[in-house]
Amino acid sequence: MEKNYYVCTGCGMLCDDIEVESEKNIVNKVHTACRVGVAHMKEGRESAVFRVDDKPVDEATAISEAAAILKNAKNPLIFGLGTSTNETQKLAIELARKTSATLDDTSSFCLGRVVEALLQNKFKVCTLDDVRNKADVTIFWGADPSDSHPRHLSKHSYFPRGTEKQRGWEEERTAIAIDVRKSHTAKICGNYFFQIPPGGDAEFIDALIAGLSGKLPKTSYNFPPKRILELANILKGAKFGVVFVGLGLVYSLENLEPLIRLMDALNEKANFHLIPMVGHYNMRGFNENLFEETGHVNSVKFEDGTVKHGPEYSIVESLKAKTVDAALIIGSDPLSSLPRSVAKNLLEIPVISLDPCETLTSRRAKVYINTAISGVESGGSATRMDGVKVNFKPVVETTRLSDEAVLKKIMEAL
Amino acid sequence: MDFGSFLKAPEIKVKVITYRDIFQDKAMIENRFGDDYRDRSAVIKLDPADLKQLSVKKGDTVVLKNSFGTIVVRAEESGYEPSHRGIAYMPNSPWSNMLVSDETGGTGIPKFKDISATVTSAKGEKVTEIGF
Repeated sequence: MEKNYYVCTGCGMLCDDIEVESEKNIVNKVHTACRVGVAHMKEGRESAVFRVDDKPVDEATAISEAAAILKNAKNPLIFGLGTSTNETQKLAIELARKTSATLDDTSSFCLGRVVEALLQNKFKVCTLDDVRNKADVTIFWGADPSDSHPRHLSKHSYFPRGTEKQRGWEEERTAIAIDVRKSHTAKICGNYFFQIPPGGDAEFIDALIAGLSGKLPKTSYNFPPKRILELANILKGAKFGVVFVGLGLVYSLENLEPLIRLMDALNEKANFHLIPMVGHYNMRGFNENLFEETGHVNSVKFEDGTVKHGPEYSIVESLKAKTVDAALIIGSDPLSSLPRSVAKNLLEIPVISLDPCETLTSRRAKVYINTAISGVESGGSATRMDGVKVNFKPVVETTRLSDEAVLKKIMEAL
Repeated sequence: MDFGSFLKAPEIKVKVITYRDIFQDKAMIENRFGDDYRDRSAVIKLDPADLKQLSVKKGDTVVLKNSFGTIVVRAEESGYEPSHRGIAYMPNSPWSNMLVSDETGGTGIPKFKDISATVTSAKGEKVTEIGF
């Protein structure tokens, strides 16, 4: 019997082996997915909601109000899109161009720098399928997939018996965690957990590079040199190594120069690839789509046919400097995810929130439209954390509009 | 007379590091305004010696304060070894974000995982409700 598999859009892994039992457009059971994936796929229950100034309105009123906000704004901010399809993201870029908007996504304050560097070919990359089939040494650096990407180790990076790794984790794979705390992933790594102090990553990188070339590795926090040399020896012997870069590492580095240097040093001695631990299911898609259009992965401002780029066009700096005078937030909740000291400035401008569920942001929005859950109630394509394109169809039908459909209607109304 | 009530409650300085928690993530997807999400988010994990210094028991509430905000959350033992006095852990959430500095050096990247705050006993005060 041929089975019908779905894609889970719960995180950047886009697992494509999900089985679902549904009835009357309600997902009752989800098989294969992780705890987060199951909750995500069973999320949709509500009927369509259109709200303006906290009052229920019809679809046409909500769309025309949203269009009016964007039309009246001199510099609207379009933000979010990490949980939108590639098709929706491309439409949002077009809308940003049309409305001379500032356009940004969560990557400006998480992994954007890493994705930008890899799109500029500064790192050797590979796919998760390569990892499953070939990887013998994997490093989780400032990343805890056991919590953030729960099937990462079982589906790709440690436990599977890939085509060239039939003897599996018991004999053929070494998993290493470098972190400031003993995370759940670090526990799995056992003796290959290297605990460093907060902010100690850059120094650890330098020490490791020294160790790779046989020099005495030193750190100001006196990390045992013997252990660093032991780690360097494992890395030197890697036939197919992968560094999974998490936020813990990225936030600890002022810039990516130390990481680029480390990857180069590793590739002088062995064979090492890098994959960013992208959280939102299509953050990488946003980065790639915008990069293709503008040469930048986030933080852009469209103006008179030109594109400006820089951290001043990120959501954080735009809100801090109060340079944006309206906001269209798509599938994101900045009132929850940004520092309150920055997010509070959103309360001073009209906000349009498109989101499948009620959030702090939707509750304070001038216009709120609850959209279909991308990947569960609407289909499209997305880009996995490793750059692989994945197509998906909806699991169930809904009366709610997809964010893509809402953006089309707003553009027509403009 | 309870002379203890005239004494200033002990206060310690901590560096808070935020992290992701799968159970908390699931609770958020199910209902970000629900009790489960609040209970799994409004938590700080401290070194047992720091709890002792604060005269706070596991499960008691504490006040976290800095120049960006003040929140009341539940204190727990971290369970981490070795000792990490002065370093505390919180799941990343709107609660931790109430304490994150707006200072970014113009980079657009706040220090979500590097929060300085003071901790004192909340003396039974309830956990902060999130809203704007």
